[in-house]
Amino acid sequence: MAVEAVAVATTDLASIQASQMGMKAIGAGLAVGLTGVGTGVAEMGIGAAAVGAIAENKDFFGLGLLFTVIPETIVIFGLVVGLLLLF
Amino acid sequence: MLKPKQMSRLLIAASRDQMTPVVTELYRHHLFHIEEYVEGGKAGYEGFKIGTPLSGASEVSIDLLKIRAIENAVSINADDMDPAQSGTRAELKARIERELPVLANEVEELTQKRGKLENKVKEFEQKITEITPFADIPADLSVYRGYRDFTVYAGYVAKEVSLSVPNEMQFVKGKEKNFVVIVALSAQKGEVERALQEAAYQSVQIPDETGSPQERIRFYTEQAAALNKEIAGLSAKLDAVRQQHAGFMVACEEYLRAEAEKSEAPLRFATTKQTFVAEGWVPSDKVEEISAALVKATGGRVFVDVLPMDLEHDNVPVEYSNPQFAKPAQMLMDVYSRPKYTEIDPTLMLAIVFPVFFGIIVGDVGYGLIFLAMCLGLQRMMKGEDGQMFLKVLRNASISSIIFGLLFNEFLGFELTQVVGWVLGFGGVPNLIHGYAGFIMPSRHLLIGATEAGGHGPAIPALMIMAIWIGILHITLGRVLGMYNHAKQDHGEHRTKTVMANFGWLAVMWGILVAIWSNVAMPYMPDLTGLPVVAAGFTLGTFIGAALILVGVICIARDSVLEVIELPTIISHVLSYARLVAVGLSSVAIAMVVNYMAIGMFISPGMKELSIVGIVMIVVGLVIFLFGHTLNVALGLLGGGLHSIRLHYVEFFTKFYKGGGIRYVPFGMKRKFTEE
Repeated sequence: MAVEAVAVATTDLASIQASQMGMKAIGAGLAVGLTGVGTGVAEMGIGAAAVGAIAENKDFFGLGLLFTVIPETIVIFGLVVGLLLLF
Repeated sequence: MLKPKQMSRLLIAASRDQMTPVVTELYRHHLFHIEEYVEGGKAGYEGFKIGTPLSGASEVSIDLLKIRAIENAVSINADDMDPAQSGTRAELKARIERELPVLANEVEELTQKRGKLENKVKEFEQKITEITPFADIPADLSVYRGYRDFTVYAGYVAKEVSLSVPNEMQFVKGKEKNFVVIVALSAQKGEVERALQEAAYQSVQIPDETGSPQERIRFYTEQAAALNKEIAGLSAKLDAVRQQHAGFMVACEEYLRAEAEKSEAPLRFATTKQTFVAEGWVPSDKVEEISAALVKATGGRVFVDVLPMDLEHDNVPVEYSNPQFAKPAQMLMDVYSRPKYTEIDPTLMLAIVFPVFFGIIVGDVGYGLIFLAMCLGLQRMMKGEDGQMFLKVLRNASISSIIFGLLFNEFLGFELTQVVGWVLGFGGVPNLIHGYAGFIMPSRHLLIGATEAGGHGPAIPALMIMAIWIGILHITLGRVLGMYNHAKQDHGEHRTKTVMANFGWLAVMWGILVAIWSNVAMPYMPDLTGLPVVAAGFTLGTFIGAALILVGVICIARDSVLEVIELPTIISHVLSYARLVAVGLSSVAIAMVVNYMAIGMFISPGMKELSIVGIVMIVVGLVIFLFGHTLNVALGLLGGGLHSIRLHYVEFFTKFYKGGGIRYVPFGMKRKFTEE
């Protein structure tokens, strides 16, 4: 009886650990994916406006690039969270 | 270094008859940045007027327009040509008088002829498209018009048309739309039009032609072909003109441009009836040289003086002054904005830190070598100055990638030491399947396709903390520079406040750090958790951190209360440096996935069994390998370059750099094709 229970417990433990790993992987994926979408949505408007401004005046390129990449930080945060979850 | 070139404000005054020698001398030296005179703007200039162009200006301008039109017509671009001298000034001048009108006539005639022929070809093509729909109807084109009681409908319909009135109909079924020609009594117009409308009728113009449509199409095609041949002949002639006169044309343009600029210079001077005054900027170390030259050229009949500078109100033009290796980075500075005369010029820091960031992100010997080869190859092909600068920036960055590749121990996603061992013959084939340690730098090796147990995964915490440290130091440097800039530029109480505000930002950042270190022990960071507990379970470090934050917030708020809502950017900016690791890791991951797919899934199994299937698998593997790494090279260039420069523009420059300086554009030109 007792031996069986221990065996069951260890297999349970292994499967629990495995599913925990899976949950972490899902979490990491969501972190990167959703922040990526967020960055994309945020950059959409800025990028369109910046391209318009650059078309009017080429000197705006540097500043336009700067504004466009500001939301990039969001996805980097996502990546950091993802990496911290996995490792 | 760290400062723009020192400038002096120069005033040149002379009588009007000395205008030509003065302008010529200034143009030759290519040092004097003219400050344009605006009428009625400045004290002490009452009664002065804007000057008039030197004599001969309009002739030169007309010639310049001519030569530019020719260059356009034969598509010559001076930027794409290697510098080459073509004769002395006098020779060139004589040649321009003699040859330019002839050349202009010849080119104009040729281009006009070509333009006419091209228009004709277009006309014929238009006719062909008009006739084409009728080609499948076996009727002469003349039968479609000239009726009194009948109306002819021709056009496209979506479906077949059925009419209840007497009519003659030709229907051609097409792939997307059907063509129909209907002849019906004009009296029954309403009925027919209703039916056509139901079939989504789109009318087509009936061509004004006679004869069978097939024949007419053939006729026009032949005509167009003949004209095209003629056009090709004319283009070849224009090409020959270009081949023959390219050197002359660019030299001519340069000469005329110089002449035009010289003769229009007085438009930027202040003049009276008898005298003129020019104000402008010259690098301080050249003042002597240019004054002496002016005195010599005019025989002493000129007054040159250095005026005092007013740093707050003068728009001093800015010329970079950097060591040779940092010069290419000036291009990256100009993309953002040229520094003001009074502030620190961060080009040198950019020139050092940008390649380092790029190297940390790419960090692969293989990719570094590919970038380097690309740069050296393109350097020969590109002729423009900006392009060359950009390639030099890239070259420095790729050398840095190779160095960091050695430190990271990476070669196209493989382990570098393994690849070296394999090439030198003392190791096995690189198996990519086991993890490895970095060399000096922490490992970035992911366990992709790992088959051996106990592999060495990436040292994520070490990498992250390295990136955070870089961020902390970079931002601290930025804030210190900000304090320096404000101390230099501002005055009085405002100056103290802005300097203290910059100090405040630093205090908050370090306060947060000290507070974190006092509560959590982290690798590669100071551990302050051991400090004695003071009160409420918090250690001394926590209180020091909190005090720093408080002092910092007060300093910031004293300058501007609104700035306080920006406080979270301290954390986001520091964490933003994590991209150095994150983007790099993603590039490593792509490289390893490509290697695993190419070698692990195709080439290795294919090698085991050298049948046809095996060979196909090896070929597929090689294609995946090449395609994948090409993609990663492109991504590495984009990711490495854009993220490194962004860290400068957004995280670093916003701390101290304003920019908005005026570019130093000295009067004169860099001659490529003509002598001084």
